[in-house]
Amino acid sequence: MKQFQLKTLLSAVAILSLLSACHKDKVNPDSGPKILDPGVLVLNQGGITHNNSTLTYYDYATKATSSDIFASVNTRGLGDTGNDAKIYGSKMYITVNYSSTLEIVDARTIKSIKQIKMVDGATNRQPRYVVFDKGKAFISSYDGTVAVLDTATLTIDKYIKVGRNPEQMVISNGKLYVANSGGLDFSNPDKTVSVINLTSLAEIKKIDITSTNPINIAADAYGDVYVIAYGTDYPSKPTLTIIDNNTDAVKTTTDIDASYGTSFVINGDLAYYLTDAGKVKVYNVKTQTVVKESFITDNTSIKVPFNIAVIPETGQVLVTDAVDYTNNGKLFAFNTDGTLAYSFTAGINPGAIVVLKK
Amino acid sequence: MVVKISMRNNGLITYLLAALFKCGKLVPVVVLQLVVTHASFAQTDTTRHLKEVPVTATPAPRLQTLIPVQQIGNKDFARYSAFSVADAVRNFTGVNVKDYGGIGGLKTISVRGLSTNHTAVLFDGVQINDAQTGQIDLSKFNLNNVQQISLYNGQPEDLLQPARSYASASVLSITTIRPMLTSQKPYQIQAGIKTGSFGLINPYLQWQQRMGNNWQMVINGNYTKANGKYKYKVDGDGSDTLATRKNGDVRSLQTDAALYWNKNDSSKFNIHINYYNAKRGLPGAVIFYSESPGQHLNNNDLFIQAGYQRLWKNGLQLLLNSKLSQLKTRYLDSPYFNTKGFILENYRQREAYQSVALAYHITNKWDVSYSADVSYTKVDADIDKYAFPGRLTILNVVASSLKLGRWQFQGNVLNTNIHETVEKGTAFQQRSVLSPTLMASVQPFANPDLKLRAFYKNAFRAPTLDELYYFASAERTIKPEFVYQYDIGATYSKNLNGILQYITITADAYYNNVHNKILAIPNRNPAVFSFSNLGKVDIKGIDAGFKTQTIQQNGWSMLLSTNYTYQQALDVSDENSSTYKQQIPYTPKHTLALNAGVNYRQAGVYFNHILSSGRYYTGNNLPEYLVPGYAVSDASAVYNFITNKTPVQASFEVNNLSNKNYSIIRSYPMPGRSYRLSLQITI
Repeated sequence: MKQFQLKTLLSAVAILSLLSACHKDKVNPDSGPKILDPGVLVLNQGGITHNNSTLTYYDYATKATSSDIFASVNTRGLGDTGNDAKIYGSKMYITVNYSSTLEIVDARTIKSIKQIKMVDGATNRQPRYVVFDKGKAFISSYDGTVAVLDTATLTIDKYIKVGRNPEQMVISNGKLYVANSGGLDFSNPDKTVSVINLTSLAEIKKIDITSTNPINIAADAYGDVYVIAYGTDYPSKPTLTIIDNNTDAVKTTTDIDASYGTSFVINGDLAYYLTDAGKVKVYNVKTQTVVKESFITDNTSIKVPFNIAVIPETGQVLVTDAVDYTNNGKLFAFNTDGTLAYSFTAGINPGAIVVLKK
Repeated sequence: MVVKISMRNNGLITYLLAALFKCGKLVPVVVLQLVVTHASFAQTDTTRHLKEVPVTATPAPRLQTLIPVQQIGNKDFARYSAFSVADAVRNFTGVNVKDYGGIGGLKTISVRGLSTNHTAVLFDGVQINDAQTGQIDLSKFNLNNVQQISLYNGQPEDLLQPARSYASASVLSITTIRPMLTSQKPYQIQAGIKTGSFGLINPYLQWQQRMGNNWQMVINGNYTKANGKYKYKVDGDGSDTLATRKNGDVRSLQTDAALYWNKNDSSKFNIHINYYNAKRGLPGAVIFYSESPGQHLNNNDLFIQAGYQRLWKNGLQLLLNSKLSQLKTRYLDSPYFNTKGFILENYRQREAYQSVALAYHITNKWDVSYSADVSYTKVDADIDKYAFPGRLTILNVVASSLKLGRWQFQGNVLNTNIHETVEKGTAFQQRSVLSPTLMASVQPFANPDLKLRAFYKNAFRAPTLDELYYFASAERTIKPEFVYQYDIGATYSKNLNGILQYITITADAYYNNVHNKILAIPNRNPAVFSFSNLGKVDIKGIDAGFKTQTIQQNGWSMLLSTNYTYQQALDVSDENSSTYKQQIPYTPKHTLALNAGVNYRQAGVYFNHILSSGRYYTGNNLPEYLVPGYAVSDASAVYNFITNKTPVQASFEVNNLSNKNYSIIRSYPMPGRSYRLSLQITI
């Protein structure tokens, strides 16, 4: 009896285990890196701690998207919370905040060339944004530094100490301006912009902009640097501070109806930014006034405006929608007249937008 | 900046998320393991045995209740290779234990697709309440002094119980060991030690003492120390080596002293003092390409509870319960890139609770009862702009049960009042809410083997104090979450005369409708992180169970139980959302639990298998957001013998026999194969 029961038991187990045959990973066999056709890449942040930061690729010609081009080319994930991606030369640089890595990939194939771990001993630096100047990449990190990377050797030469939790950076008049948010100190945010001399690679000044929690920064061709600071109040009262890139003094500070963390993207005389109501506002940097309250002219509705980019050549405006911050987001592309050109589904929290040219 | 909210969020409220894994090849390994275990068990036969117990038929377990009840007793814990209460309830049908992995990892229970806040956890009949987070970490409860664990869908069917027992969608009741000493042997001491993987050392001691005819005492001490380290495989980061889970160390001390007084069974009194102190590393999510130093959590909990029960000859019964509790929590996240360089938060939650219940036998077939509970909870925290909330809850219940021929009916109405005070912001107020429950069962034929049952229960949960006030820069207006539960089921239980002693089959189909589901609404602006009542969920499910046991023949007997759960839990909040009619996160459609064992005289080997289908970690049911299903087996062997007149119980348990790489929560890998050896002596 014992024998019989044991067999029954074992076969039951075997059947159960077969039943449990679980989800098979669908990894496409790598057929060598393929050169991507022109299109748009969206760096999706994913959910924090979910390791699901992805790179959505949209092909202009076929209008098809692949939900994670990085993983399908490199057979591994980008990691946790990809924050910024930019192309410089033949390479694309991706900052992955929580994984604390800088992914350097071939901009035409997305094949990884090098992954740099941004650590200070055992502490993750948490890289945020990247900008470039004369063969150097500058990477801001939450640990209060800007790393200087040689784009020829792909090694970090130096870490420049700046303010607390630096976010966006911009280069203007031979200087690097860094927005020091201090945003990880809820009750005591930072309110400065660091100025770094690009020759000496040292901080030469900290401009007190008096408004707390500056995150976004941009520069025009007329010698002005624009900083949006958000404070930590609710409702937030964002301010736009204009800095003279000659004297590095604050010229003006005014209120701005900007959604939290929106980029302020400048293309020629026009700057574009997002509002909490899901509108795209247009600002003239020459006259320093809002020239269009709503760029979108059709009935396209954006639930949670997340990021904005402008294609300089065509003037097309690209806006991402995080929808609910937890599920797949979208990208909307608008013609210069504010009508929808196309849209596609991106990943969770679609952030940085990169345009792939021919 | 999105980062910030979630960082806070991944701290204390939920120690968030980790890694994919591939399908293991389970079958051959399991077969091999079982054969090996079986062989080794045969060899242990040489030691001296306890005096053989006369063979008596075990009656079918009492499952034919008005509402679905599942129970597991202290003799069964080894069969399930269970270390904590969380492990012991995994096999229950309708249950989904959310396990963040490891010995100190958070383990919460979700019953029938509802969030953990809808299950009340009772400790000797009195609720363990956490008004701040609304969730009870079941990994905190060691099994050493537990007599029995019961899960009631709806509520326990006892009429004489505190009002809080009526107030949740389901009740998980933990009963501690009560002394049953005689004047011949007025004391009993049990001492044991458990050791094994994760660097575990767990000595425990239980001292039971009889003091005169009316008084008995029991003292439990239980110390757990473990480094919590285990190997796991990260899937998706391109690595093919195993990583080691660190910062999962645990040090905890749990002591419980209880005094029981009883006079002719008509008058009983008990008082408990329970102290729990734990220091735990929270390893956090496994983040690709990086090693996180993790966070630290210290708990310092103390409660005193007393109960008095009186039975009068005229059919009147009285039950009084009182409790005072203090939960202190210290949360440390270091390093952190703020001015201080770390986040340190201290919370203190204090509660005073009083319950009165009266029941009266009007006739043999008709009972009525009334219960009233009052509790006051206050939370203090040293965090920025905290509201320092105080919550006064008053519950009143009127209940009645009636037997009419083969029919049995029971019903109650619960009235809830909540009044809050805050030092900052606006306090939540909940005026009188009535929640009815109706239950019925019938024996359709003269033969009592088959019984049918049905219940309807309306339960609601108030928003937790964290949902209302944790970093609430923006004012939050949250309504309570309502659940309408419908259940229809059948039980078939038959005592047999053949090789099988009995079989019992239970099956219930249910429908749960959740209204005003409280959802966290993230925002880029950390000041706006909020909650709303937008959610609606439709849950349809089936709970089925089968249990049987053979008679003892030449010292051999076998037992088998299996439970199956089907859950379809659809988000029906917003027709225009991409998550509309999609399965809600972390809810498997199919779960199968199987437990089988062979006893030979005073030894036994047991096998436990749990199979769960895939779950999605987002509301979008897309393949890329799937946490794959898993099949995990445990095995154990128990042997009782006497050495130098001292009864000894030795057991050896293996969890995750096939060393399967899996996770229940994404980014939180579960341990691979682990071992535990236990020795216990009784004096």
